[in-house]
Amino acid sequence: MATTTATVSITSGDLQPGNNLSINASSTLMKTGLTTGMELMEMGRGELTQASARDALHEALGTTDSANWVYICNNSTDDQQYMKIGIHETVIGNLGAGEWLWMPWNMGDADAEINIEAEPSGTIPYEYAIFKSAPYTLAASTAA
Amino acid sequence: MATTTATISINSSIMSYPTSINKTMTMKKLQSCTGLEETSGLRTKKFIATTETVVVEQDEFTSTKASKVYMRNTSSDKAHYFYVAKHASAAAVDTDGETIGKLYGGDWMLIPYLADVNITVASSSTDTVILEYMVFGE
Repeated sequence: MATTTATVSITSGDLQPGNNLSINASSTLMKTGLTTGMELMEMGRGELTQASARDALHEALGTTDSANWVYICNNSTDDQQYMKIGIHETVIGNLGAGEWLWMPWNMGDADAEINIEAEPSGTIPYEYAIFKSAPYTLAASTAA
Repeated sequence: MATTTATISINSSIMSYPTSINKTMTMKKLQSCTGLEETSGLRTKKFIATTETVVVEQDEFTSTKASKVYMRNTSSDKAHYFYVAKHASAAAVDTDGETIGKLYGGDWMLIPYLADVNITVASSSTDTVILEYMVFGE
């Protein structure tokens, strides 16, 4: 069985005056059913241009209401540039230059794709990783 | 200006070779090099029913700006999960792209948050399950 762990550390010495912030958490990713670890993953990088509007990073082709995880990092070094991250028609939030997200994704229905959009102009380099529960439906071949 | 950093480490043996992602970010205001300055503080909420509950109210933060939401299901039982949804009312399970995902026992998430809609959660269990969460805003 494959094992995938995700760990986070959040710290700040001055966000809460007089109270140092230190959050540490770690989890092992399990696929739907919770008896075995994730067995499918997809990683990549790309460049997103503002002119391309909203693009689907990943379609929701897996089992509806399953356990999946999404990592996205905005690798821009320009503080003016940010990525809009959404699930279908819902904008989750704005991911600024140098920022990352870690998000569960249950593929609530076949339309619940993960989408990304560059704002306000230019090209944004990004990286992503998606960890998925099996079985996962591959797109049909168009070959004759 | 406050400085808040978050570091993620993902390690996986799914492939035939080890896969590792390590990244640190400083949480900043939208289109700025200035750090986020507001927070809800670290909150914990006990759930003993499956009733959908708003945990982050949109009007606490500004919708045109940058916020972050950290959540962790503190249960040691993987089977106890929360639906997490971005929904105006309290529906956590739907088919319109508003349900983000399921946070199983021990799982955590850190996402950007456009504060135009509430964040709602619903426990899968009537057993006691505690959700830990914190919002970072401008």
